[in-house]
Amino acid sequence: MFRKGIWAALFALLSGASLSAQSETPIISGGVQYLSTTAGGATTFQPIIAPVVAIPIGERWLIESRSTFDEAIFREDGATGPYHALTFSSVDYLQLDYIASSRVTITVGEFLTPFNIYNERLGPVWIHNLADSPLIAGIGTRTSGSSDGAMLRGVALSRKNWELNYTAYFSALVNARYFGAGRSAGGRVGVFIPRTRFELGMSYQRFLQDQHLNSWGTYLIWQPYAAPLELRAEYAHTLGGQGYWVEAAYRFSRFRGSTSWLGRLQAVGRVQQFYLGKPVPDDVNPGADTQKVDFGLNYYLPHNFRLNGSYGRQFSSFGNTNIWNLQITYRFLFPLIPGGSK
Amino acid sequence: MNSPLAVRLAFVLLFAAVLAATAQNSAPQQQSVKSKLPPVQATTNESEEGEKRFETHCGRCHVPPEDLSPREARAVLRQMRVRADLSSEDERLILKYLAP
Repeated sequence: MFRKGIWAALFALLSGASLSAQSETPIISGGVQYLSTTAGGATTFQPIIAPVVAIPIGERWLIESRSTFDEAIFREDGATGPYHALTFSSVDYLQLDYIASSRVTITVGEFLTPFNIYNERLGPVWIHNLADSPLIAGIGTRTSGSSDGAMLRGVALSRKNWELNYTAYFSALVNARYFGAGRSAGGRVGVFIPRTRFELGMSYQRFLQDQHLNSWGTYLIWQPYAAPLELRAEYAHTLGGQGYWVEAAYRFSRFRGSTSWLGRLQAVGRVQQFYLGKPVPDDVNPGADTQKVDFGLNYYLPHNFRLNGSYGRQFSSFGNTNIWNLQITYRFLFPLIPGGSK
Repeated sequence: MNSPLAVRLAFVLLFAAVLAATAQNSAPQQQSVKSKLPPVQATTNESEEGEKRFETHCGRCHVPPEDLSPREARAVLRQMRVRADLSSEDERLILKYLAP
């Protein structure tokens, strides 16, 4: 049955490709990254590729999907011993979108769970400023960060000085290998002020299987026009714990423009704390109260390449750790059909 | 996987290749986008408004992609219309900016 579903999806993809060949071309985009992480003296090398396929069909339909393939190369005893490699692959989302109106888009299939901003907006390897996910990334995104079901999203109200955006979803329990998801329902609502590029929002998830859990969170984004500054923050709470992260990034584009050698540089800092709550089965949050600070430098090279280097210090009752990350990322985009860009 | 030196060497070579490939190109990103596109048909005002809307909506998460053809830009914008909750007017104007 599941295989039939996959074949049906493939048929839809190919049909969509041929239908849309006359206007928008199907594309494959995404990121390729090579990440080197040294945590507590143990180094791991991690090549990652995360292709995104987007197939527009007509004026209102879109099929889109992202998969992630990565490999962790590490030494058997941490800093010594022979090297081993583990390979991972996942389908992050495979969804059909229908733009019903200016206020509503309907999504069915597997989609990223819309809780706060990190999972949906900052997760791709070519977007996030620091390699490590926030400590609270597991709150509100149980079980896999993806949901299988249906979602409504859009801008409910749009005024000259502000707009109200929202998402609401229901997910079924699915145990299929690449499409695993928990039974849950939830959503996010945010107020965005375009004039100041300020957004404030809240999220909620009700986990509807095993031990029913409520998770809620709030977030803000501020990118003032007056300075090349980005400020992002999230807070999240659930039975298993609560925490927050605050990230600031400053790009030196005021010095001879964003494409000068200095203007391509961006400094990033992040502080975060997690406080452990009550024990919850299958929780992916840290197992103890944890604090962490990160400092990083991003360098935006031409042709969609980016270099990142960061240092983090993590404080926990399990032990304090230094974490060094070094990564190079290439953001690619090609037509899915040969000659499709013409 | 008994050769950590080979892994590190590959990493260093990859860095060197990227730096070598990009050393010759210091052209501004937006010029690079537009240089591959057909002659400008959009009005300057619409293109400027599209740039503003790109900075307002898309720039909240990422910098503009380079080397987009008009047809690719349409597909990207369809995707972003869903992900970034763009209106049809946002989509039209940003397209004028990315692929006039």
